[in-house]
Amino acid sequence: MTTYRLQVNGKPHAVNTDPDTPLLYVLRDDLALNGAKFGCGLGQCGSCTVIMDGKPVMSCLVPVSAVGARAVRTVEGLGSSDKPGVLQQAFIDEQAAQCGYCIAGMIMQATALLEKTPAPTDAQIRAHMSPNLCRCGTHMRILRAVRRAADRLAAGGKR
Amino acid sequence: MNHTRRKRHTRWWLLLAAIVVLTGIAFAIMWRPALAPLTTAPSFDNARIERGANLAHLGMCASCHTADLSRPFAGGKPMETPFGTVHSTNITPDRDTGIGAWSPEAFTRAMREGVARDGHLLYPAFPYNHYVRMTQDDIDDLYAYFMTRPAIAAPARDNDMTFPFGFRPLVGFWNVLYLDDTPWRPDPQQSAEWNRGAYLADAVAHCAACHTPRTKLGGPDLKRQLDGGEAEDWYAPALNRNSPSPLPWTREQLQAYLRTGMAEDHAVAGGPMQDVVMHLAQADEADVAALAAWTHSHLSQAPLRATPAQRDGPLPAPALDDPDLPRMRLGYALYTNSCARCHDVGRAPSSGTALPLQKAIALYDPDPRSLIHIVDSGILPPDGEAGRWMPGFKAILSDEQAGALAAYLRKYGAGEPAWPQLDQQVSKARAP
Repeated sequence: MTTYRLQVNGKPHAVNTDPDTPLLYVLRDDLALNGAKFGCGLGQCGSCTVIMDGKPVMSCLVPVSAVGARAVRTVEGLGSSDKPGVLQQAFIDEQAAQCGYCIAGMIMQATALLEKTPAPTDAQIRAHMSPNLCRCGTHMRILRAVRRAADRLAAGGKR
Repeated sequence: MNHTRRKRHTRWWLLLAAIVVLTGIAFAIMWRPALAPLTTAPSFDNARIERGANLAHLGMCASCHTADLSRPFAGGKPMETPFGTVHSTNITPDRDTGIGAWSPEAFTRAMREGVARDGHLLYPAFPYNHYVRMTQDDIDDLYAYFMTRPAIAAPARDNDMTFPFGFRPLVGFWNVLYLDDTPWRPDPQQSAEWNRGAYLADAVAHCAACHTPRTKLGGPDLKRQLDGGEAEDWYAPALNRNSPSPLPWTREQLQAYLRTGMAEDHAVAGGPMQDVVMHLAQADEADVAALAAWTHSHLSQAPLRATPAQRDGPLPAPALDDPDLPRMRLGYALYTNSCARCHDVGRAPSSGTALPLQKAIALYDPDPRSLIHIVDSGILPPDGEAGRWMPGFKAILSDEQAGALAAYLRKYGAGEPAWPQLDQQVSKARAP
């Protein structure tokens, strides 16, 4: 067991765990941030996507010992049920979830896109979102939700 | 005094004559005339067009000439070369911006000599030094295919060449060195299938364009045929006796690889080879089998050797007396936590054919570029295609971690001596 100091959603945390524990387990089990989900554990589905140092990563593949000083952000950092962030609101508006299991990962993947590319083309959205799978098949609504959020931000909406 | 003056005069005359002759030669090397534009639209029979479609797949024309899938063959794709960035051209039959005004003679001249209809020299990023050996019948089939595609208006994008390569006539000198127009000849010692493969590999699929190293002047290094080259900063493995593959290829594996990008328990196509596979998947199956037969005859010259690929199971922990122990331990930790989940210990049905890493050819390459690119970007199927999917680790691993992982895999996966200048290669490949 080793103590790791993590920066998650702007807050410092100290976690005592094994070096090979995936970041996903630390987020869920130690920090009670249950937005990111365990889907496949193999980096194939994207439901565990979080943002590390500005880039989307599959947290099931990140050993906690590899995080270092890089800041981690999860869906919990974007807003709450009362005050959803722009992307969260867009997903609600488009009713982009069916079972909802993949959605936290989808939203974080989309967040990374909109931070880097504020006015993406539809093709850019499709390409960027392609690592994330939705088994219910709401991909078309998810793409619309990302489009809606991008358009709202372009019209001066707040993140 | 009179005598010396005459001598001086003779010298001047000789110099002038030399200049005239050299200018004449240079002009002949660098200048080509324009050919007359087509005045009437040609027509073709369907069998020709279909054969042309197959040749276009085998030659992977779209790989460079299609930048946007919704505008096939309209060109505009940038290609980095040591001499600058070249953009592919529009080869749809648009009269103004494509090849719509090109006669069969103009098309043939472009394929064999690298000259556009208006007489300007094309850059050898267009592999006419291979197409020169295509049969006239095949060139005519290709012409029929391209002249019957939808015409798309797309003006050529400006190239961005480093000085002095923006001056196209210089390509004439490259042609003197590297454009070999000796017609292709079958080898009577070999089977008809092998000869078909040899012809396709050389004159159409231009395998050697990537798999043969290039000279400083950007031409093929003919003393090292198929000895391993590069494509888009990936190492393109040697296809001859120097093949880095740790296990011998069978013909069946090669055929599956060329057709699907996957050879069970052997290899998965990555980088530019994915594009090749995407086109070969649409080509005639017997032609791909012929390519496999030809490639196999070269690869099977590689001597059999004992490699860790013959063993099963996960990779070992670093030895306690390893002189580079902290780095190897970091690499091993990353291997067990990030790679082994799919590649070894946890190989589950959902991870499909993830290779045990001791079998991964990239670990045995003479340089680490392909491994670094695979780790960073993963293996993503081409847009809209089904295929193996490996996540990229660029956002997960720092440069130090990526370097340690590559060093560990090289030593404990392949059992090969360390790659020189690995850290520099890692930061170069990962530079934004």
